[in-house]
Amino acid sequence: MNKEELILRLKPIVDTYAQDKAAMENLNDHTDFIKDLHINSANLVDLVLDIEEQFDIEIDNTSMEKMLTIGAAIEIIQEKINTNDR
Amino acid sequence: MIGNDVIDLDLAATESNWKRKGYLQKIFAPQEQKLILTSVNPDVMVWLLWSMKEAAYKIESRCTGIRCYAPSKLQGQIIQLTSDFSEGKIHTATSLYHTRSLIEKSMIHTTCSIDKKLFDTLKSSISIHKDQQYPEYHSSKPASVSHHGKYLALVYL
Repeated sequence: MNKEELILRLKPIVDTYAQDKAAMENLNDHTDFIKDLHINSANLVDLVLDIEEQFDIEIDNTSMEKMLTIGAAIEIIQEKINTNDR
Repeated sequence: MIGNDVIDLDLAATESNWKRKGYLQKIFAPQEQKLILTSVNPDVMVWLLWSMKEAAYKIESRCTGIRCYAPSKLQGQIIQLTSDFSEGKIHTATSLYHTRSLIEKSMIHTTCSIDKKLFDTLKSSISIHKDQQYPEYHSSKPASVSHHGKYLALVYL
């Protein structure tokens, strides 16, 4: 899966929890889930669970710790997908 | 240093479904999960522990300058729990935090500090804003701010 495809599948999940919809318009690697999109911290775990379901991967707690930006999420998803493929 | 966290329980009930598969396991340590699942009021226990973690995280992240999402590493312990009050502790890898929580039908508010003595002098102001339009509060220089749903909580030292 290339990065564009991945973002296409990630975006609707993020949109479910983003409270700042305007910030959704200019998503980039640095977009911060909490600071920019104002995702409630108790919903960040829903985002992680949705990502696990959508991409059929398991995100361990060590990876979840870093899951604060779009860029970090993409990196983690790619890493886990590659591990699955191996 | 002080941390505080307010939770609008009505909003939390619509925003989050903690009964979702995998949810508790991702954010609560095994001991906390046990506390929740054996509680007579699991909804309150979920949000009580969560507000304790959030309040402690605010201090910890300010002190270390490190942001991370590792809620199960801030481990909550309940020392005392009545229908409207709780005293607890949060253990992290490096620190021990004390917490005091006010529990109401639609709201939980937790203040957190390493130094227990601060609880004797701090002042909390909790106000309700139905439209979520919070008034200007910066000029009153609160030591810690939290808002969720219709609640705004300000703590002064």
